[in-house]
Amino acid sequence: MLGTYYYHHIIRKTIVAFGTLFNDIHIQHQNDSDQVISDMKVPLAYGPMQKFLAKIQQQEKLNKPVAITLPRMSFEMTSIRYDSTRKTSVTQSFKASDGQNLKKVYMPVPYNIGFELNILTKLNDDSLQIVEQILPYFQPAFTLTIDLVDSIGEKRDIPLNLDDVSFRDDYEGDFSERRALIYTLKFTAKTYLFGPIADTTEGLIRKVQVDLYTNTDIVSAKREMRYTVVPDPIDAEPGDDFGFNENWEFFNDSKTYSPTQQKDI
Amino acid sequence: MALNPFFLQGSPTEQGLVQDLVNEHLRMFGIEVYYIPRKLLKTDNIIREVQSSKFDDNFIIEAYLNNHEGYSPGSDIMSKFGITLKNELSLIISRERFEEFISPFLSEIIAGEPSYSPGEKLVFATRPKEGDLIFFPLGERLFELKHVEFENPFYQLGKNYVYELKCELFEYEDEEISTGIDEIESTLSDTGYITDLKLVAFGGSAQCQAIVSPYAGVNEIIITNDGYGYTRTPTVTIDPPPDFTLDRSLLLGATSLNRDISKATAVAITTSVGGVKSISKILITNSGYGYIDPPKVRITGGGGTGATAICGITTNLITRIHILDKGDRYYQPPTITISGPVGGGTTATAITKISSGRVSEVLLVNAGSGYTSLPTITVSPPPIVGFGTYIVSEEVTGTLSGTSAIVKYWENPGKDIDKILRVYLNNGTFNVGENIVGSASSAIYTLKSYDLDATTSDNYSQNDEIQQEAELIVDFSESNPFGTY
Repeated sequence: MLGTYYYHHIIRKTIVAFGTLFNDIHIQHQNDSDQVISDMKVPLAYGPMQKFLAKIQQQEKLNKPVAITLPRMSFEMTSIRYDSTRKTSVTQSFKASDGQNLKKVYMPVPYNIGFELNILTKLNDDSLQIVEQILPYFQPAFTLTIDLVDSIGEKRDIPLNLDDVSFRDDYEGDFSERRALIYTLKFTAKTYLFGPIADTTEGLIRKVQVDLYTNTDIVSAKREMRYTVVPDPIDAEPGDDFGFNENWEFFNDSKTYSPTQQKDI
Repeated sequence: MALNPFFLQGSPTEQGLVQDLVNEHLRMFGIEVYYIPRKLLKTDNIIREVQSSKFDDNFIIEAYLNNHEGYSPGSDIMSKFGITLKNELSLIISRERFEEFISPFLSEIIAGEPSYSPGEKLVFATRPKEGDLIFFPLGERLFELKHVEFENPFYQLGKNYVYELKCELFEYEDEEISTGIDEIESTLSDTGYITDLKLVAFGGSAQCQAIVSPYAGVNEIIITNDGYGYTRTPTVTIDPPPDFTLDRSLLLGATSLNRDISKATAVAITTSVGGVKSISKILITNSGYGYIDPPKVRITGGGGTGATAICGITTNLITRIHILDKGDRYYQPPTITISGPVGGGTTATAITKISSGRVSEVLLVNAGSGYTSLPTITVSPPPIVGFGTYIVSEEVTGTLSGTSAIVKYWENPGKDIDKILRVYLNNGTFNVGENIVGSASSAIYTLKSYDLDATTSDNYSQNDEIQQEAELIVDFSESNPFGTY
């Protein structure tokens, strides 16, 4: 039953969109005269990775002179859960265009994707600088518009909910252990998963034509006036910013429009 | 007296003998390490941490390596923050040697240190301090003192003779490390938050010449409605002149190559303000000639609507400016200056566009009036010729941005080849096209390009990759709010 191949990269896109929120956060350090002596962009990366890749990328020279460079942030996906509160009828569908053909798309399935953003810093003040630049934007959600299915240009607003902020500061203990300052921010992205997208025989309506008659006898009456409307530009797609061209025509040639022949006879 | 007075528990001479033996052993079986004291630049006495530090002194001292079997296994840790090294080192140094050869110098440092809190200074000279660094030359690694054990061995003959320094690999942030020791500087030259600036030294000026027409042409285009929705550059069309039979020989500066210049042409420049994409200005590429009345200006395409413009005409104006020499190594569009008409009139104004470091186009903002002879056109030269050799650990400053940084590495592969200046501790962002001046060396070169983000050298950062992918899928029509400090 299942098995129609499709892959919209929706979860990957959600990961990228989540990550990009935090990829331009800076911290600054001052000297004793409060002059800025250093402005650092905090490095960000997706946490999980192949171990051999980490070795050859981050420890190309086996002999690293320092333990790690700080601060740095990492994020990772932690869960995928169905969200029954956003459920819609499974039989509903809508039409979308891929630019050439009309497609039939079933309503997407709501899923919550859990994320964790971890911040590792050397100084408490660094953590506070970073966290203060993030928290005010989440009340408790910040909404991103993501092109979830690019073939049909399906953009969806995905709220990112900040669920929890916690931190670990291991400053106690003997002096054999180093202090570790890690802030953990937990988020939920309320995204949608789309199933396969089917072709449909239906097309986009690109022209509407209405003929007007002077009496209600539909057998003998002849059209007297015709109203036609087409999009402007004529090749506009549903998502485009387009207008309409309207046209009124008047006739006294006693003809009638034949829908089958698509001409006046 | 509780103790037997006939037995000594350690006389000063005995203690001195033991200390000498310890010193002798350390000199025979030890290794030389660099002791690098920490200098404090900024402290916070509420959340109690040292926020900025500097390491610019060093002292060589012999130390016995207590790691008989090397670092403990499993020192390389894979974490969610990438690879972290947990290597630890235990060194034994002579107490007497430290106090006699390092402490006097450390005493001088104390005077210049800021107070941690009123009346309290964190720097003292009497013993090795936690937080100071040790450069371990065998592994070319930088260790931080985390604990100083001073009672092991425990009061032999009533005195302690050594310090055991328990160290772990340094966690590097943006501390200034400029010891002046080549071995240390080269080890750290590609470590930390570094920025590679691409610098250039040589460039050539662009040269332009005008065509002046006695006939009437379009001298200025005025936007009467800037429209909206212009996601692409719209096409600007100006009606042709009615008379094509005018004598071309009266055009000053025209050559046989400039045949089709009677019809005025222009280009639109779009802008985006508050998410509305409209037309900001229309600039003349060719004023045309032979017009009797101001022609109509039509703006089409570009995905937008509503923009309208009108134009004025005048005689004795600049028809167009053609580029004789595109110059070289421009990183910002140069300014172009046109001399005024002799005997009065309106001075023409223009702007330039560059492509691949060369002037690609000259656009007239106003074609002027009253020109009866060819004006003199001056294009500002590209950045000045660079010279000098930057010195590692000197401060460099951008002449326009005022941003400063500390040099980590300088590479000058030769004439006409991009030079690399690796810096850290940037206190802002540099401007492409500005000159970077060394404070000690006086070296000066022009910034061609650099990655706007100071990144760590260990390939951890994915900021750029994430940004590039996100630009394809995230609709940031209101821009990323997480973008500024």
